[in-house]
Amino acid sequence: MANEARTISKRDVAGWLAALMRRAEVIAPVAAHGGDVAFAAISSPEQVVFDFQNSLHPPKQFVLPQTDPLVVIRRNGNGIELEPVRDAHPRVIFNLRSCDARSLAFLYRMHASDLPDGAYLARAENVTLVSLACTVPCELGFCTCCDAGPFLKEGTDVQLTDLGEHLLAEPGTDKGLAMLSEAGDLFRPARPDEERRRLELEEAAKRAFGAETCHFASAMRRVSTGRVPEELWGTMSDWCLECGGCNFVCPTCYCFSVKDMKQDGSWVRCRTWDSCQYQAFTLEASGHNPRERRADRIKRRFFHKVSAQYYLRDGTVGCVGCGRCVRVCLGTTDMPAVVEAIRKGAWNG
Amino acid sequence: MDNLFLPRLARIALVRDETPDTKTFGLRFRDPVDQRDFRFLPGQFLELSVFGFGEAPFCFASSPTRPELVEVTVRRTGQLTDALHTLGPGDEVGLRGPCGNGFDLPSAQGKDLLFIGGGIGLPPLRGLIWNVLDERERFGRVTIMYGAKTPADLVYKDELQEWAARGDVELLVTVDRSNNGWTGNVGMVPTLFDKTELRPKTTLSYVCGPPVMIKFVVQDLLMRGFADDAIISTLERMMQCGVGKCNHCAIGHRYVCRDGPVFTFRQIKELVE
Repeated sequence: MANEARTISKRDVAGWLAALMRRAEVIAPVAAHGGDVAFAAISSPEQVVFDFQNSLHPPKQFVLPQTDPLVVIRRNGNGIELEPVRDAHPRVIFNLRSCDARSLAFLYRMHASDLPDGAYLARAENVTLVSLACTVPCELGFCTCCDAGPFLKEGTDVQLTDLGEHLLAEPGTDKGLAMLSEAGDLFRPARPDEERRRLELEEAAKRAFGAETCHFASAMRRVSTGRVPEELWGTMSDWCLECGGCNFVCPTCYCFSVKDMKQDGSWVRCRTWDSCQYQAFTLEASGHNPRERRADRIKRRFFHKVSAQYYLRDGTVGCVGCGRCVRVCLGTTDMPAVVEAIRKGAWNG
Repeated sequence: MDNLFLPRLARIALVRDETPDTKTFGLRFRDPVDQRDFRFLPGQFLELSVFGFGEAPFCFASSPTRPELVEVTVRRTGQLTDALHTLGPGDEVGLRGPCGNGFDLPSAQGKDLLFIGGGIGLPPLRGLIWNVLDERERFGRVTIMYGAKTPADLVYKDELQEWAARGDVELLVTVDRSNNGWTGNVGMVPTLFDKTELRPKTTLSYVCGPPVMIKFVVQDLLMRGFADDAIISTLERMMQCGVGKCNHCAIGHRYVCRDGPVFTFRQIKELVE
C-alpha cells in the first residue's frame, strides 16, 4: 500500500477531522493544563496539536480504560440479571506517535491470542489509528531500539508525515485505505518529490535519534536464561518505590484485577489496571506470597518485558521505547537503566 | 465474540458444614441447558461470583461422573468467602469456567493411584477420587492419605468413613494434634508412608495441600522411587481472570490458570519464577 500515499493540504485537515468526527469519536493530542499535551476526545478540529512531545499518558486508556466495565449485574426481585458490556463505538485515535500505535498493535495481539478477549477486541476493532511519524526525536524516547519508530512500516491504519504545508498520508491497512478514500477530494495522490521528502525525513529522524541506547538483545539473553544475579535484582529493587507509575504510564502494560463496583443500586464488574510491582499483586488468601520481596517483583516485570520466552509468544519485546517510565520513575528503575544494568551486570543507580 | 468475563447464573442447592470455617456448596445452573451441557474435568477450576463482592477461583470438589450438582468446598478466609458463607439454598451466584487443564485421567488407566491431601487440599482430589471410584475397574490399587491439623479440621467426614468401609480403597488419615477421643494416627502426612506398602514403579501420586506439606511429601515420594512424572500436583496462585490475561498467576511465561493448575513434578521443576 506504500504506493498509495496521498497528500492533504494543512488547510483541509480541519475539514477532514470534521468529517471523521461525524462518524466517530476522535481522540487526539490537545493542549492541557500547564503546557502539557494530553490525549482527549475532541469537540472541534482546531484543538488537535501537530507539534508536540509525546503525552505523559499514552492513548491506551481509550482502548483499555483504567476502569473497564465488563458485566452489569442487576438485582431483579430475588434473582440476578447479567448484561455483558460491549463497547463497539467507532473511534479514531488521531496524531498518536509511532510508539503508541505500535503498543496498541501489541495489546491487540495479546488480547486476540489464546482465548480471545471479546470485550477488549470489540472496542479495539472499532478503533482506527492515524499516527503521526516523528521527524524530530523526543527527549527520552528510544523507539529505534525496539523497531517502534520514528516511522512505522506496520501497526497503524494511516501514517501521517508532516511535510510543512502538507501532510503525507500512507495507508497501512485496508481500514486506513478506506478511510482515505472516504475523504474524497481532500486528498490527492502524493507526488514523487513528496514521497522522496518523506524518506529523507525518516532518514534524518533516525540519524537524529543517534546510536541505540537500550540494548534489548543482550539483556534478553541474560534474563531468559536466569543469568542475572539475584543480588543485582536486589540492588535495583532498593531504588524502586513501588509506586506503580512505570506500569500505569506504560503503553504495553495491561495487567489487571477484576472488581465489582457499585453503581446506581446495581454493580458493574470491571477490570481495573493493576501493577505487578505491588506486593498484594500475588498475595494469596492463605497469606502465602510467592513474590513477597520487591526484588522478585522487579525481576518479574523485566522477565515479562524482555525475556525470549515472552518474545517468542508476543513476537516483540514488551517495550516500544516511548521513554515514559524514564520520565515517571522516582528511583531510576526504568527500562533503559535496568537493561543497561542487566547487560553490564552492575547497577549505577 | 464472547465476553470472557460473563458468568452463568447458578443457584445454591445445598450447603454442608465441613469444619467450623469450611463449607461445601452444591450448585445448579439456573438455565437447564447450562446444567445439561456443562462439562469439566477433575483438577479444573471455576470462577465463582458472589455478586457485589467479585469472583474467586475454586477447584471443582465434585466429580464429572455425578453431574447433578457442581460442588465447591470453601474455607472462610476473606471478604468474598465470608459473603459466600452467609448464603444459603436458593441464593444466586455466578459460575465461569471450567478453567485450566485438569488431571489427565486417561493416562492413569491401569495404574495404581495414590492420593495425598492435606487440610483444604483434599477438595480438588475429592472430585478425582469419586471419578476414579465411579470407574473403579479401570484402575489398580487406590490409596488415599489425608491429614489435617486436628480431627475437627477434617473435611468430608462421612465420605472418609464411606471410603474406609469400601474394600477396594486403602484410606489412611492422620492429624497433627489429637483431641477429644481421637483414636487414629497422629503426625504429619509423611508419617503415613510407613504405614502402607507402595509400588512406586506402577503408581501415580496426586498431591494437594499447603506448600510446606507438598514440599515434604514430594521429597518422600522421590526418596521412595517415584519418578518426576509420577508426582502430580495442583499449584495455587493469586488469580483474577482465570483466562490467561491478567498476569496474577504467571510463573515465568507459564500461567497457572491456563497451563495448570495441574502440573507434574517434572513440569514444576522447569518453571522459572
